[in-house]
Amino acid sequence: MPVLTILLRRLIGLGAAVLLSSFAVFLVPFVAPGDPVRNLLRARMDAGVADEQTVQAYAEQFGLYDPLWVQFGRWLARFFSGDMGISYVSGTPVVETVLPAVGVTLLIAGISILVAMAVSIVLGVVAATRAGRWPDKLITSITHALIAIPEYAIAPLLVLLFAVKLAWLPSAGFHSPASLVIPVFVLCLRPISFFTVAVRSGILQSLGSEHVLAARARGLGRTGALLHHVIPHGLLPLWTMTGVWFAGLLGGSVIIEVIFAIPGMGRLVFDAIVNADIPVAQGGVVLVVICAVLVTSAVDLVQQFSDPNVRVGARHD
Amino acid sequence: MTKKSLSFVWLSPPALVLYLVVVLTVLAPWVAPSDPNSQVLAQRLQGPSWGHLLGTDALGRDTLSRVLHGGRFSLSVALLTTLFSLSLGTVLGLLSALRGGWLDEFFLRANDLLLALPEIVVALLVIAILGPGFTSMVLAVGVVSWTPTARLVRSLAVQVLSTGYVEASRHVGGSRWFILRHHVLPFVAGPVLAQTALRFGLLLVLLGSLSYLGIGVQPPQSDWGSMLAEAQPHAIRSPWGLIVPGAAIFIVSFCVTLLGNRLTQMFNGHDVLEPAGQGEARG
Repeated sequence: MPVLTILLRRLIGLGAAVLLSSFAVFLVPFVAPGDPVRNLLRARMDAGVADEQTVQAYAEQFGLYDPLWVQFGRWLARFFSGDMGISYVSGTPVVETVLPAVGVTLLIAGISILVAMAVSIVLGVVAATRAGRWPDKLITSITHALIAIPEYAIAPLLVLLFAVKLAWLPSAGFHSPASLVIPVFVLCLRPISFFTVAVRSGILQSLGSEHVLAARARGLGRTGALLHHVIPHGLLPLWTMTGVWFAGLLGGSVIIEVIFAIPGMGRLVFDAIVNADIPVAQGGVVLVVICAVLVTSAVDLVQQFSDPNVRVGARHD
Repeated sequence: MTKKSLSFVWLSPPALVLYLVVVLTVLAPWVAPSDPNSQVLAQRLQGPSWGHLLGTDALGRDTLSRVLHGGRFSLSVALLTTLFSLSLGTVLGLLSALRGGWLDEFFLRANDLLLALPEIVVALLVIAILGPGFTSMVLAVGVVSWTPTARLVRSLAVQVLSTGYVEASRHVGGSRWFILRHHVLPFVAGPVLAQTALRFGLLLVLLGSLSYLGIGVQPPQSDWGSMLAEAQPHAIRSPWGLIVPGAAIFIVSFCVTLLGNRLTQMFNGHDVLEPAGQGEARG
């Protein structure tokens, strides 16, 4: 398949994903409990309950009697020109709350993914090169244990130990690099276990391949073969996973952001949903989806162009 | 299943631990030392003692009794969610593999889309619409968690449908339904069972997080996630309220994962956490 077709396909898929999720999010006020007009009025004027006439006038003014798809088109146009509405709770424009939060979450998710990759490459290579012996068994047990740890139990316990008892690290907030240590540690756990297993099996496969045997036959030493042939090949499965996991962490950090009072997307969307602050929830979710789709597509594209098999259009189904 | 599988899987240490947990939680009303809701304010936030084997919470309730009773909710909601997403994933994966064509293409795109959406955000939205509670939890997590099963089922089914014996079966007049029952399902069942064990563990943790956030189980009912949320403000005085339900979730999830791993080893010699096919990158 020509590169341009792949690129075009990706772009169409990307647009469809953003459009579909925007529509789903747009529909929320129509199915969620509570009257959106009354919510809006409550946010804009401090006068408790609005009377029936005002409500109807506003509904007319905002075009709430128009067909659904007209309203969706209008909402979409406004959304992508930067007007995401006004928060029901704080009364401030949604853009101003949402954009800074995106940066915070991207930072935390990015650091976590990098740390997880570094740790799992080491663990995976060690396990694969000693397959079947005790280091391998130990690492395998660790990876199985890591995914079973509930982050909302380990996080408070770590805070208790390192922030309260030992006073080495701050217990919450987003002020210094030190305040990110526990959140990043907890966020890493699950990716580490999945990455390590992938690296281990990739390296094992690579160890048994013919080009490694050929390199060894030409007289390349064990370490040389490992560094130049086994590891570069064996890490291919890891690159595929990072994009998806990075995207997953963008929204999946809800718990961590709530526990550590980190002003990121996860906490923003969660608070908005709990407070029925629909404009903020909508803006947040659509931005999370856009980021997630962009990240997965970017990683996908890099992979498409670096893997000759994919480049010529071979399918692995 | 062979004879070896009986002792290797169903009588293995993690399986035995799980049997014990299930029996204890099912029999909670009879085996729990006291009423999970009876408050003795004079004995609040105690550590383990002979009177209260796992201590007491901020209202002086017996933690052991509460964790046994809470397990009934946690385990049953995780089981139902797992079964829901298992059946959804199996049906969609089989349809996609058997019908092929536009249905398959649509399935792959939908999969890509759901993979890009963070599952907890989708679950939050569903709960925002349906309101919190048992049914919402099952539905919210069920609709976002069927994709790994569907991908596994699809890739296995595609694999078996391209074998010579299925081709032969088709030539001697085997109907689609016959092939599905006699060739596809037996081939798919083992690895899917193994993956389902892993999924159960992951879903137990995810569902607990909803309760922890206060949008899962609603009072007066409680589960392991809500116990953790209740214990957190008092953790400095008594960390036992965090350790006990946290350990309960960990033990069950860990044992189920080990069980899944033993099943996978039996069926194809891989690790249960390994990606099963293209796009199967997230557990």
